[in-house]
Amino acid sequence: MNNLHNTGGTRQNIIAKVLLLLFFSVLFIVIMLPFYAVALSSFKPGADLIRYGLNLRLDLDVMSFKNFEFLFTGKHDYFMWFKNSMFLTIGQVTLTLFISAFVAYGFAAYDFKGRNLLFVCVLLIMMVPFEILLLPLYSLINDLHMMNSYSAIIVPGIANAGTIFFFRQYLRSIPKELIQSGRVDGANEYLIFFRLILPVLKPSFAAMAILNGMNSWNNLLWPFMVLGDQNKFTLPIGLKTLLTPYGNNYDLLIVGSFFSIIPIFILFVAFQKYFIDGMTAGAVKG
Amino acid sequence: MIKKFVYSQKVAPYIFVLPFVIIFLIFWLFPLANSFVMSFQERMLGQDPKWIGTANYTKLLTDKVFLKSITNSVVYMVGTLILLIPFPMLFACLINSKLMWGREFFKSSFFLPALTSVAVAGTIFRLIFGEMESSLMNSILSLFGIGPFKYLKDQNLSMAALLTLACWRWTGVNMLYYLSGLKSIDSEYYEAASIDGASAWQKFRAITMPLLKPTTIYVLTISIYAGLAMFTESLMMFNGNNSPKNIGLTIVGYLYRQGIEKNKLGYAATVGIVLLVVAMTINLTQLKLSGTFKKEED
Amino acid sequence: MKRILCLTLAVCMMAVFALTGCGSSSGPADSTAAASSSAAVQTQQLGSNAGANATEMNFWTFVDLHGKHLDKMLGLWNEKNPDKQIKLNVTVMPYDDMHNKLLIAVQTGQGAPDIADIELGKFPNFLEGDNVPLEALNDVFEPYKSTTVPARVEIYSKGDKVYGFDYHVGATLAYYNTEILDKAGVDYKTIKTWDDYKKAGIQVYEKTGKYMGTADTSATWQASLLLAQQNSDFTDDNGQPKVNSPEMIKAMEMLVDLQKNNVIHTIPGGQPDTEEAKGEYNKGNYASALMPEWFMSRFINEMKDLKGKYAIAPLPVFKEGDPRSVGLGGTGTVVTKTSKNVQLAKEFVAFAKLSKEATTEIWNTLGFDPVNMEVWNDKAVTHNPDNEYVQYFKTNAFDTLNEIKNEIKAIKSVKASPTINNILCTVTLNAIFEDGQDVKEALNEAQEQITQELK
Repeated sequence: MNNLHNTGGTRQNIIAKVLLLLFFSVLFIVIMLPFYAVALSSFKPGADLIRYGLNLRLDLDVMSFKNFEFLFTGKHDYFMWFKNSMFLTIGQVTLTLFISAFVAYGFAAYDFKGRNLLFVCVLLIMMVPFEILLLPLYSLINDLHMMNSYSAIIVPGIANAGTIFFFRQYLRSIPKELIQSGRVDGANEYLIFFRLILPVLKPSFAAMAILNGMNSWNNLLWPFMVLGDQNKFTLPIGLKTLLTPYGNNYDLLIVGSFFSIIPIFILFVAFQKYFIDGMTAGAVKG
Repeated sequence: MIKKFVYSQKVAPYIFVLPFVIIFLIFWLFPLANSFVMSFQERMLGQDPKWIGTANYTKLLTDKVFLKSITNSVVYMVGTLILLIPFPMLFACLINSKLMWGREFFKSSFFLPALTSVAVAGTIFRLIFGEMESSLMNSILSLFGIGPFKYLKDQNLSMAALLTLACWRWTGVNMLYYLSGLKSIDSEYYEAASIDGASAWQKFRAITMPLLKPTTIYVLTISIYAGLAMFTESLMMFNGNNSPKNIGLTIVGYLYRQGIEKNKLGYAATVGIVLLVVAMTINLTQLKLSGTFKKEED
Repeated sequence: MKRILCLTLAVCMMAVFALTGCGSSSGPADSTAAASSSAAVQTQQLGSNAGANATEMNFWTFVDLHGKHLDKMLGLWNEKNPDKQIKLNVTVMPYDDMHNKLLIAVQTGQGAPDIADIELGKFPNFLEGDNVPLEALNDVFEPYKSTTVPARVEIYSKGDKVYGFDYHVGATLAYYNTEILDKAGVDYKTIKTWDDYKKAGIQVYEKTGKYMGTADTSATWQASLLLAQQNSDFTDDNGQPKVNSPEMIKAMEMLVDLQKNNVIHTIPGGQPDTEEAKGEYNKGNYASALMPEWFMSRFINEMKDLKGKYAIAPLPVFKEGDPRSVGLGGTGTVVTKTSKNVQLAKEFVAFAKLSKEATTEIWNTLGFDPVNMEVWNDKAVTHNPDNEYVQYFKTNAFDTLNEIKNEIKAIKSVKASPTINNILCTVTLNAIFEDGQDVKEALNEAQEQITQELK
């Protein structure tokens, strides 16, 4: 009896397993389809893409490495955008993480007058969609003569509320004895932060670096509004500018889009855990 | 003397939070306040503002295009809630099952779309939803004998296209949220329920759903904001802020059109204030109904 | 281990990208190759023959080819004026973005270029208010005044001040695909009126299954030319919108009738001058285009398969004797007030847009009908057999252009124009041709909405 039940269960299990696998495989194909179509299209002439749409047709007559050739040898600004994006991302992430950790430590380690009020402000920033501030911020940047500079992108977000929040939650679990021991050793408050706290924060830095880095790398709207000089365009802005009817830029568009994903892909494969930690950081209950 | 002051334990916390305070005041509170002020002005970049009272607000009430943009944004938001909460939750439960083969592989591959920028993803989907018979969507549908459709010229189809884009990008991420939520559920609950002879569905209803509530509330909150504030997706999908019959116009799109394209900063600020009020109202109601505040007071 | 390997790989890749980037984008641009038509959006410095003392200037445009033209003119200018040489930094941006950024830049006085292209539809935005941020060009215009089409200067003027010079007249013409028409047994030369066009179209559809023309939903070329033929406009004498005028209703109803008879049909992209639509034309799915003269350059550059098939003729009209053309589209090149070298910029712009050398060059490289009509009668230029625009078409554009020379009307560009254009192209034309809304109803709604938005 018992035996029979077990085999039945196993058979059921196998069916369930296969069904599950089948279901997720279908889902996988659907999700991968756009990537596949893009990869395929990067071998087709750009004009075809606009005229026939993105599709899965394997047309070996028109497919070639020309787009890739153009990407690497042609006259265009793609790699300047790439460089700008890298520069901006690295700068923004480094500064934001450092400042945010600095602030978070203040919130986590001290009991001071006004702390709760200030922390409510942090939460408030997280509660209000940034888009509402687009225009006043825009005219402020204009008044401050920061238009067309990377500082206009970096500075307003340098004390990132989400990052502060995350670091603060993380730091709360650090024993106060650690800080005390630093004081006993004669270190001042800031040395304690630099010498003792920053190393402890390392693992959470990785997650936040990836989250902030991804946002920065992919950010379009705000940089697009404040940057006017073509030499400062970032990759998303540059790719957007390719979508114009007044120039034949489609050859670069799809191969360039395809290429812009690759570095993130590689980083993702290497640091998957941190990506997932970073992305789901907000959902972790505080 | 100054050194001693700065180094004192009393002053140090203020030094630590100072960068935040500065940024908060200059780049957040001031612009927000300015937004309120601007909404009562006729204001253009490079020209002196003029006070016009509540004229912007009364104009907005009868502005059909604005109403259209609100409708679009709300429909989009509701659509993302319907599609991007239950399904990811279900997928998370399924993928979390002990019977699942290749869990890690699927988990990471579903996450991949979230890595693409809106600029890239929007362009890709714009081309997938092209109205030519040979575009990806039309060629797939033609296998079933349906179509071809002009997706980006039709109210419902273009909304479907925008929602498809949203699902493509965020299903994997939301699934991960739920997976991390599932991790925190004690397996003893399930064992106890199994002993009581509960079916899988009963277990899901009685244990999984209620215990995933914090995750759901989080996803709900961010989805409401993201949905109402959606703009760049539409901008890329329609290759510009002017979609046929304004079918792709969102609240932020209208704010952008009035503020940046027409240089009517005052009127655009009013749009922003309305968005703020709508978003805050919906979310506070939602948080109140779900009893989140009570918990946080503990 | 695997992780470190991947990281190294990623870093190396990025480094390689960045470095190859240095090589390909920051080297000095070769002035002849710089603006080749396959060049992507980029900043180019033109004027390689300029000496060390050359004045540096910035130029913004949204059309690659305009950069190409200015490059040639710059070479000539620097040769002729060794004491006033110029180096030009050209920035090409997408249409909407360039105009948005330019408007803000000139209004705030921050980051504006010295010289810029402003499309006709956006021009009124720049003339609003008492302080026009552009320089009046009257003094440099004087030498060319007598030979230039007045209507094409007026549209870039406010009061008696001229602010921009156009590249072309943009006279509307009819382009016929004779291969399709021959198959259907239609002779385009016999098409004189819209009734003829309709009859021919029905025949084309029956015999070949192709459409005669397009029902445009994202541009107002058709609406404009039909209004101009009735001596009407989108706005009245005071610049107030009147898009529900009897003339407009008549025009739209005529188009709807053509659509119902399968003479015209909506096209992907919404109008002939889009990438999608050019693809449709190239495939031979539409037998005619009723477009401004500058559409010729689209044929040459983007519909290469149609070479030798297209003929050019005057537009059909409601009744014979009606004006057969209107100047549409256009881009005014302006000098901003924030320029540090206003006078030099003005002189160069006039030279690059209006001089005999410029107008010859405009026809040769851009294929446009220049605003300075001196060149229209110079057969050596207009019928030059080496010219690709002469080679491509079965008939010579200037034969038709000179025939309708005195019938070229104008559509006013006023403060209300951008709004009118926006509503018609996003809402009204779609409602009429895609959803089949009643013409009068759609136009009344448009009128109401335009008035509301202009308040």
